[in-house]
Amino acid sequence: MEKFCREIEQMLVDYADGQLSPGDSSKVAGHLAQCEHCRMLLNGLQKTLELAGVIWADGLAETESIRIPATKTRTIRWPRYAAIAASILLVATTSIVWHTLVKPKGSELTFAEIERKITESGSAARLLAAAEMLGDNPEAETIVKQQYRHIVETYPETAAAAKAKLRIK
Amino acid sequence: MNEISADFTVEMEHAASEPLPESSLMEVFSAELWRLKRIIAGMGLGSSDGEDVLQDVSIRAFKQCRGGSRIALPSREDQVRWLIKVTVNRCLMEHRRRRTFRRHAGEILKRRLETKTASKSAVENVIVAEELEIVRESLQKLDDSLLSPMVLRYFCNLNSKEVGEILALSPSTVRSRLREARIILAKQLLERGVEP
Repeated sequence: MEKFCREIEQMLVDYADGQLSPGDSSKVAGHLAQCEHCRMLLNGLQKTLELAGVIWADGLAETESIRIPATKTRTIRWPRYAAIAASILLVATTSIVWHTLVKPKGSELTFAEIERKITESGSAARLLAAAEMLGDNPEAETIVKQQYRHIVETYPETAAAAKAKLRIK
Repeated sequence: MNEISADFTVEMEHAASEPLPESSLMEVFSAELWRLKRIIAGMGLGSSDGEDVLQDVSIRAFKQCRGGSRIALPSREDQVRWLIKVTVNRCLMEHRRRRTFRRHAGEILKRRLETKTASKSAVENVIVAEELEIVRESLQKLDDSLLSPMVLRYFCNLNSKEVGEILALSPSTVRSRLREARIILAKQLLERGVEP
């Protein structure tokens, strides 16, 4: 093999992959036009890659039968927690409206107070739902307890606070 | 750059701008399963060995999620790279032990003929089977340090920079290994008298 062929051989893979500069690429192309040995090698490079692709693709077809490993992943059941929050909110709202309707006339609640109570109930319900979600993780026990205490202290009149009290116990 | 490679690059760029919590690693594992299977197939492992590899990778990913490792994987890009790296290393362990591309050329060809319309003559099929066998044997003998860049570059369609990041090599080292691997394969084909 000529010395020049050895030099070209070093560039042949990059040439086949289109990674050469235009200058080097035309240098290789010029050599290939004259040298059958290097042309054969280039064809061999392309052929082996094509055949390797067939072998790999065949192996891939075999891996299709691999079942996905059953790793224990904790999937967060958002609908469940949304339902909990919604039910707490519903109970709280009903309770507020009922209290408003049956309360004696001298101490009537203003609309602003009703609105505040509903907002508080909603916030407390959301916090409770978040705490329940964290409650699934044993490592988060301390945080969850703090969260329950926070609900009880910040929103004492809400249904969520009542539930939080029960959870603390 | 081909389509898959372009997709991967876009995905990586998008991911780089969006840091994700480590708890999403298992989701990334599921999303990238197709790519991990390609690596397994490219490294020549069969379905049962491949299943072992994926099981191990998923366990490592799960431990990583639970904070069992000090490796920080803040972005999706890091997570994908970590999963590929772990899969390649695990495949290499298995590959060193078994060193086998299980199916022989005859079986590969048979499967191909079953799935595609047979347009070649019996003689041509014999020639293809012979060529497949030579390349299969060559891949089997190829050094691990050359095989992994080959699989990641040409079967998983990653570029040299991405391959280098996964295998902890510089892009120029990746290119030189790819050159060496491909020249070895081509020369072995030519030495066996195959006219490409």
